[in-house]
Amino acid sequence: MMETRIILLIIVPLGTAFIIPFIDLINAKLRRFFVLLGISIQIFNLTSIVVQYFDQIRDGSLFLQYHLGGWQPPFGINLVMDNLSFLFIAIVTLSLLFIIIYSIGYVGHHEGKFYVLYFIIIAASNGAMLTGDLFNMYVFIELLTIASGALIAFQRSHPGSEAAIKYLFYNIIAGSLIFFGVLLTYFNLGTLTMADVANNFAALESGIQLFITAIFLTALLIKMGVFPFLFWLPKSYDSSPAPVTAVLSGVLSKIYLYLFIRLIWTVIGFETIVALNLNILLIDIALFSSFLGHVFALQANNIKRLLGYSSIGHIGMIFAVIMLNTEAGFYGGILHIIAHMFMKAGLFVACGYLLQYTVSNHYRDFKGVGLRDKPVFIAFIILLLSMIGMPPLLGFASKWFILMAFLEAQSYFGAFIVIFGSLTAVIYYLRYIAKGFEEVRLSEDDLKMEVFNQPLLSVLYREKIVTFITYAYTAVIIIFGFGFRFLNIPLRMSIESIMNVERYIELVLGG
Amino acid sequence: MRNNFIFIILFMLGLYALIMKTNLIKNVIGLNIMEASIFFWVIAFSDVGGEVAIHKMGEEFSKFNDPVPQALTLTGIVIGASTAALLLTLIIELNQFTDTIDRDEIEGLNN
Repeated sequence: MMETRIILLIIVPLGTAFIIPFIDLINAKLRRFFVLLGISIQIFNLTSIVVQYFDQIRDGSLFLQYHLGGWQPPFGINLVMDNLSFLFIAIVTLSLLFIIIYSIGYVGHHEGKFYVLYFIIIAASNGAMLTGDLFNMYVFIELLTIASGALIAFQRSHPGSEAAIKYLFYNIIAGSLIFFGVLLTYFNLGTLTMADVANNFAALESGIQLFITAIFLTALLIKMGVFPFLFWLPKSYDSSPAPVTAVLSGVLSKIYLYLFIRLIWTVIGFETIVALNLNILLIDIALFSSFLGHVFALQANNIKRLLGYSSIGHIGMIFAVIMLNTEAGFYGGILHIIAHMFMKAGLFVACGYLLQYTVSNHYRDFKGVGLRDKPVFIAFIILLLSMIGMPPLLGFASKWFILMAFLEAQSYFGAFIVIFGSLTAVIYYLRYIAKGFEEVRLSEDDLKMEVFNQPLLSVLYREKIVTFITYAYTAVIIIFGFGFRFLNIPLRMSIESIMNVERYIELVLGG
Repeated sequence: MRNNFIFIILFMLGLYALIMKTNLIKNVIGLNIMEASIFFWVIAFSDVGGEVAIHKMGEEFSKFNDPVPQALTLTGIVIGASTAALLLTLIIELNQFTDTIDRDEIEGLNN
């Protein structure tokens, strides 16, 4: 079904990104109005799609398309929204909305530039999830890389620029690999439309199949930060400003997971992966990466770095459970993608606020942080408990389904990694909770030091906004923790659209 | 004629500069050589010795060079240029804090 509104999901944020510098020239105070306007048009757009196609979302037959310039799919560029991409766009938009409200108080100087880059990230993430064309996928991935690389170094600090250089070196290599893979696919099949590639990919020689698959997988492993290529991740999570870390961990890694699902199941086809004997290898790599992430987290003496290592652990776990290719695996995996998105983003948001008065992110400076701002710290603790997997919270539900999926597939090493992750998480998180409640007596000199060590930005912090946003994240975790059955229908339907590749190909190519 | 060996040598040259050199600017140059080798390969591979399609608008002809890889490469070059520009900007910025662009002397890049 031709639907114009889905291209507006890309055009509106991109347009806002280009309007903001001009608004800055006229009147800087109008800027926030336009930011909120852009975000609310986006939300309105998505809501109107939900309202109009509610029945189709419920029964899993949602399939909206837009052909750019009116060219039919094998020749033209097309955008596709099925149940899987709908679910991801909905959660990513919600998460990005929370983070942008938080960043209104956070970014002091050059706020306009921050919003330009941020809206480019919104546009590129929606584009990467909607596109039905391999080359556009590459372009949107590169947009995400450039915008996020610039955001990491946004505060123009020494560690920030180091982290951004490291991040960019790894991700540009990944980007050129994707370019190479896309062009190889084009030379072998003569098409760039995902559905057309999917139709013909199985007929290729197995050597070429292996080469193309390996190139795409390597690029996505670098982007996600899975085992052999995870070394850029902790540094860039540690050194970037709090809202940017929340975007990196909460949104970008999930988009790459989505693209991984799209490429492996829709474009390449899981039968091909099994025929190439890659599935067992990938599960083992992912589980080892998860193990490594949790072990590194044990020795991290820095809360943001620790959360980065824990991200590696969780992404590896999700990756492995998805690679099982069972319905239970997808159910647990996608539920944990949602849970992890809100937990990690909430934790980084709370962390950025709690650490604003400390000298560094180091463990010993975490002392007494909880006593300064109790409401935020309580939300922080709830989110940490959800990361560990305490029963009434969403983290428990998703970990439970992942554990069941591993046991069902008789992958006992995977089940061990889930339990191991939870147990180590208890050790490394409880340490910080205890330290946060430690009484600290400040001398006159310390207080002076503290005032001078505050970054200039924190003056502009707005306590109420931060408290509201951290509690919004906590509320999402608690509400869906009790009622994770609400997510049952969208999850089942998106699994349906992952598994049913023939329907995707038929609907795209059939017009 | 397509000789893949040349592109592999160029790619390896870029990879050598990226891995073995400790000067950050040389690393960026290596990265660009790697990208350039892929672009050269694409352009050379899509050249089948036929006509240029746009020169023959409206006429009938049998063999032509596919313009799509060229268009894609153009996009790739633009993206490569912007990433290189961003990287060089960041290196200049880092140089203001550290007074060096040697990768081994900057502690933060190694942990």
